[in-house]
Amino acid sequence: MSELHQISTERTEGVTRRGAMKIGIGALATLAVGEQILLHPGESAAAAVAGRPAPRRRRRPPNDYKRATRTTSVCLNCSTVCGIVGYVIDGKLVKVGGNPEDPNNGKMLCAKGQSGPTISNYPERLLYPLRRVGARGEGKWERITWKQAYDEMTRRVRACLDDGHPEEVAIHIGRSRIADIMGRFLNAIGSPVLLNHRALCSLNKRAANYATVGDVDWESVDAERTKYLLNFGSNFYEAHQGAIHFLKRVVKGRYDNGAKLVTFDVRLSNTAGKSDEWHAPFPGTEGAIALAMGNVIVGSGEYDKDFVTNWLNISLDQLRDFYKTYTPAWAEKLSGIRAADIQRMALEFIRAKPRCAAFTNRGSHAHYNGFNNDRAVIMLNALAGSINKPGGYCYSESSSIPESVFPTPAPLPPSPKVRTDLEDPPEYPLANHWQKMRVGELAYAYLKQGRGRIRAYFTYTLAAPMTWPEGRSLAVEVLLNEKLIPFHACSDIVYSETAHYADLILPDATYLERWGLDVRNNYELRPYVTLRQPLTPPPAECVNFADVLIQLGKRLGPNVSRYFDFRDYEDFTRLRCGNVPRGDCKDGWEFMKRHGVWHDRTLPQSYNLYERVLTAAQLKGSTTDMATGIISKPNARGVVEAIGILRDGRAVRGFKTPSRKFEVRSQTVIDAARRVKIPDNGMPVYLPIPHHQDLAEDRFILTSFKWNVHTQGRTAPQKFLTEIMHSNPMWINAATAGRLGIRSGDTVEITTYRPRGHTFEPTGRRIGSTRIRAFVTEGIHPRVLAVSNSLGHLFGGRVATGRRGARPAGPGFDPKVVPEDPDITRNLWWSQADGGKGAGFNINAILPIAPSPLTGMQSWYDTVCTIRKV
Amino acid sequence: MPRYAMAIDTERCTGCHACSVACKVENDVPLGSFRTKVYYWDQGKFPRVRRHFLPVLCMQCVDAPCLTACPTKSISRGEDGIVRINAATCTGNGACKDACPYGAIYLDPETDKADKCDFCSHRLEAGLEPACVETCPGGTLIFGDLNDPKSPVSQFQAKFRRELTVLKPEEKTNPQVQYRGPVRDMERKIPRGRNHDPRTYEIETWANLDSGSEGGRRE
Repeated sequence: MSELHQISTERTEGVTRRGAMKIGIGALATLAVGEQILLHPGESAAAAVAGRPAPRRRRRPPNDYKRATRTTSVCLNCSTVCGIVGYVIDGKLVKVGGNPEDPNNGKMLCAKGQSGPTISNYPERLLYPLRRVGARGEGKWERITWKQAYDEMTRRVRACLDDGHPEEVAIHIGRSRIADIMGRFLNAIGSPVLLNHRALCSLNKRAANYATVGDVDWESVDAERTKYLLNFGSNFYEAHQGAIHFLKRVVKGRYDNGAKLVTFDVRLSNTAGKSDEWHAPFPGTEGAIALAMGNVIVGSGEYDKDFVTNWLNISLDQLRDFYKTYTPAWAEKLSGIRAADIQRMALEFIRAKPRCAAFTNRGSHAHYNGFNNDRAVIMLNALAGSINKPGGYCYSESSSIPESVFPTPAPLPPSPKVRTDLEDPPEYPLANHWQKMRVGELAYAYLKQGRGRIRAYFTYTLAAPMTWPEGRSLAVEVLLNEKLIPFHACSDIVYSETAHYADLILPDATYLERWGLDVRNNYELRPYVTLRQPLTPPPAECVNFADVLIQLGKRLGPNVSRYFDFRDYEDFTRLRCGNVPRGDCKDGWEFMKRHGVWHDRTLPQSYNLYERVLTAAQLKGSTTDMATGIISKPNARGVVEAIGILRDGRAVRGFKTPSRKFEVRSQTVIDAARRVKIPDNGMPVYLPIPHHQDLAEDRFILTSFKWNVHTQGRTAPQKFLTEIMHSNPMWINAATAGRLGIRSGDTVEITTYRPRGHTFEPTGRRIGSTRIRAFVTEGIHPRVLAVSNSLGHLFGGRVATGRRGARPAGPGFDPKVVPEDPDITRNLWWSQADGGKGAGFNINAILPIAPSPLTGMQSWYDTVCTIRKV
Repeated sequence: MPRYAMAIDTERCTGCHACSVACKVENDVPLGSFRTKVYYWDQGKFPRVRRHFLPVLCMQCVDAPCLTACPTKSISRGEDGIVRINAATCTGNGACKDACPYGAIYLDPETDKADKCDFCSHRLEAGLEPACVETCPGGTLIFGDLNDPKSPVSQFQAKFRRELTVLKPEEKTNPQVQYRGPVRDMERKIPRGRNHDPRTYEIETWANLDSGSEGGRRE
């Protein structure tokens, strides 16, 4: 058995059954309605390859681009959602490249984006709706028709609506990018329960942006024009929302414009490894370093006088007072970064103003104190006056899809009238304050505690048993429990971790086979929108989940179906493109289909956004509060809201914060803290992490990370990505390893402990242990251990589980539907059975659920652990 | 008639593997074989550590040892500067692979033919750039026609002439892919006489200088 099954909280699974039942994914394609099939974790074991050997792969002739159909679309292999161009020859998607018209990535695409064709062509795709027979989690399925699937789902949802409990219908997503139709569906039935993964991803960073600048949750640093970048915890060379959009501009900024990049990361990521300076702080002390830099900058007097005097919501005296105790010496004691370096870098940074930017990502904020860490970092931009200045901390006015150009078809269903603790846990009042970010990591715990009730549970793009903290224990326990989740329908592309625990499996279309609108923060600092359209049609009976929801909406009676008065998601998307200028095409829809991007270059870039003077039209009907200078007027719905602020007698836009200024002190935070009885003065103070204090010598901090070729849950089935990265040993510092007698390749056992003083189960008790191989490196902090969270799949087909051999024995498969790939059958060289490293370790299984105070961000990188050699 | 060449600015490389994966997909390269690969090297001791990347592909050598080694005369070098293997006459004996100092050639396990990078000739014919060049997010791979002084590679060569070098110059194959940046140390990771072994990407040996050329030999 592989290491995968040596997680001590793991249940053993998988019993092969023979008989009349078909076995394995390979039998899916010829499964007739009513026939049963067995799918379980061991099903793609390479050991027994029954039947005739797989045919040799015939070499595909070089792509003849003169015969190719070229179609634009949008990638979804990660959250950066680059515009792409797909090439189809003889009905097969052969190549994906960047869309030159996408303002962010242009013709460039990363390894994950390039991997696109291997998704649609993966032999182990789900092709037909399946219904569970036998016990949940047993892996026994029968093929059914879509009509049967819809009838079942309709019955289940209808029951909740008829009982007056629409909130017992829940949708749980990973990364859907179909918010428009999902929101519409849930609103139409009256359920607020959209569960997601944002709190496991980037909640604290977004909250910090909202709390300080208010305008946006994600910045677009003007890297091409910058001179100095302070990177706290982001690995944008490999991950990060906006990855290559940011990367390519940083490369230009550095090598064409002389910019310097400094990175703070506990581990030598690729970003850190190529930075001009890398510093490895003790985990969670990034905020202390940023505060100390602020102390140095304010003390030097070299801050931007105009911004600091006029645009902070505290006085200069209060600012000095705030930074007073946060000296470089103090920060050195906490972080291990030399005071002299902190001092030097702070001065280098401020002397580059305004062409300088300090920014973050998960390394700085997936901590108990992450929200304040990030606020402290963002403040450095305020001190430099670099917010929305060329080369500085910029962001476009909005990164939503503008309704004026892409109207959502009427009628719009009203917002639900009920709320539940599942999507809105009261203990974390900031989680949903600015944006509904939710506290996804608590979903299964709260269900188990009875804090909410679900009767119909729909999952989409979700790999929770693998990607959630304590996924293999708590998430699986709850997913198996038919009292807590009476009905579970899962839409997925492959037989995934989540699909295994469903009652109904709905075969999804890949992102390359469906419609939709998408958008991200634009580094060209203007609004833009992309169109996702099918490059090839989905095979067999695959249906994209948006269309499933629409079909369901049409079946739930006139009160719901009135909001679904369009044919399908393509039709809905076409209606949304109603106001797009037609440009060089027949109409806006044709324009979007041909170009793939709407990007209005006539609009100004958002430089100097906060100083933009309000027009006479904007000021019409407004009133000004002479005490605060805040200008307000009723919006389209008649609600009075602030639109700007008086500055030197001029009405300007300011920031979208309550004070219309950059907020150092946040009343929002004070009010939220008061609601949950936590003392908080609203300032971004440094909060020591409780369970890191007085850490015993034998304790380490366990952290996790992504690779440039993988995201957290859905890239492992892609053969060219997994070929490069399929094993994830534990990184350990060379000196530390030397002391402990550990060498690369040795097996160690990691044991993790619940965080004392944290917000959830703060017991300090042992969570679990896992055995894993060690990788000794100079590239990590001596007290930190790191394991990538991208690997360790139990499901997802041969590539994801690292097994060579034919698609498992069955009555055969139909090469006309999704052909077998002999490359996987013969050449998958990393299989453990062949002496390879296999499919990696799932580290999330032993990471504790740990929502950070007030905001609820999963504190991934705080985990205390011990290790021993075995 | 264009004369194609490439320059690689390793300073800009972010080790992202977009080039390697784009190549695999574009050219239907089997698992275990690589036309394009990216080597890693971690240099230094904590806390002063840097990571270097080195993308490597076929050098399209003017004095290509694969060409002379081939017993069936299946390899030719075009006027356009590209070294190509004729699959029709290739018998898969592997002499070319054995002769290559850059590990550029693999024997396709399905077709039993030798194969390697040909600067995506089929894309060049369609007026497109090689897949790796087009996609590189760092602008690391610079390509074009040396006969055109305005081509990206000509301009790059003109700008950085003094800083450019080739890999393994002692092999005297006259490679047409030039490099900018500190490549001497990482050269030894490039296997001689056999294709890149993807097991040298394994994390345990990935960032060493000594893996790749002698370690991780594939059966």
